[in-house]
Amino acid sequence: MPVEPLVDPVTLIQRIAAQNRDAFSQFYDRYSPIVYSLALRMLRAQSDAEDLLQEIFLQVWRQATVYSAERGSPEAWLINIARSRAIDKLRSIRRRERSFVLTDDPAAAESPDNVETSAGESESKLVMNSALANLPEAQRRVLELAYFDGLSQSEIAARLAEPLGTVKTRMRAGIQRLRGMLGTQAA
Amino acid sequence: MMSTEHAHWLERGDIYALGALDGVELKDFQAHLATECSICKAYIQETRETLNLLHRSLRPTTPSPEVKERVLEHIDGENGVSLTVAQPKKSRRWQRITGTIAAGIVGVMLAGAYYHFRYEPRHTVYSAVVNLLRDPSTRDLQLYGAGPTPAAKGRFLWNDSGEGHVFVTNLPPPPEGKMYAVWTIAQSSAPRYVGTIKPDVKGQGGLHINSTRSVLPMDTFAVTLENEDTTAAPAGPMVLVSKQS
Ligand SMILES: [Zn+2]
Repeated sequence: MPVEPLVDPVTLIQRIAAQNRDAFSQFYDRYSPIVYSLALRMLRAQSDAEDLLQEIFLQVWRQATVYSAERGSPEAWLINIARSRAIDKLRSIRRRERSFVLTDDPAAAESPDNVETSAGESESKLVMNSALANLPEAQRRVLELAYFDGLSQSEIAARLAEPLGTVKTRMRAGIQRLRGMLGTQAA
Repeated sequence: MMSTEHAHWLERGDIYALGALDGVELKDFQAHLATECSICKAYIQETRETLNLLHRSLRPTTPSPEVKERVLEHIDGENGVSLTVAQPKKSRRWQRITGTIAAGIVGVMLAGAYYHFRYEPRHTVYSAVVNLLRDPSTRDLQLYGAGPTPAAKGRFLWNDSGEGHVFVTNLPPPPEGKMYAVWTIAQSSAPRYVGTIKPDVKGQGGLHINSTRSVLPMDTFAVTLENEDTTAAPAGPMVLVSKQS
């Protein structure tokens, strides 16, 4: 197998758009670990995460032509695809679960302990000294509930029994801190 | 400069980029975006890049090689292309060779091994790795990227007889004057230098280790970035390590 120079991801996507299978294979090798860890964190079950991974990369193969570098990095594009698909799945899983929970209190059905558990589990999987691990607990929590659990601002407020305004402030403060970590603090 | 009026939209832009905006606020913001507001578009794009830090906070997890096979089968089916790429065939051959060894171990490692073997007499290293894999006392440890190279990963096959093999992927070539040093560490004793890894331009590399049996069993395996010829003790940052934090 010839050793090829490391190709930048934008070029890889352009080659994938031209249906180049080797470029796709390289792209998969490079990004599947991060997409898979995200899928596992969001969906929790290995089989669901594997199915999702497969769907995401098939979408990459089919829609590489719509990618435009002006609209963001390949990583952001890929993660955006991954999160939207994962959130769709999460919502359908929750609907399914809710239909099994015999309660007329949607909040109770919507907030079984599994989200608490998942937040706990995720802690152990966070890379030490990662951005999330360095956020204050309250900010980390709202960002995780939104980003990994796919909850909206009102759902988070309901779950945490906090005012909506507080949740919004924490989310924005968290994002602002992340910007600081990247050195992209808005002026 | 942004007007204070726009600051109001940008606050929503943060939450929109996170995917958490809902209700009337979401509708209003979508209506605003529909006016092709270039400030908000650029802001959301920048915020999405920032939010990459969130998924990057998770430890990358290599999926089973079967998932890739399934994906490739799908795209081949869609395009009527025959399976002509060498990698899947090779890994299958390897699975046969290694016989009883779990397929999962082999698939990931051998991609790296192929690059590595270009630089060494093939059959010697092939058979050494196969023998290592066959030995039930050989441990197979995952290496996790750390410090300056969070995306790096690898496998460390180790037998306390002192023989081992390291495979790495996604490890960028070291800067000028630096090298990647491989260490084995037994509990409460000094790290032992066992060799150097030179990743190729694709970030893949390997090292076969033939050291002596140590008195204490090794429990940690690490790769550090060192100044060339630093082999007495690690001084540079860890780039790969066998322990999850
Ligand atoms: Zn705007």
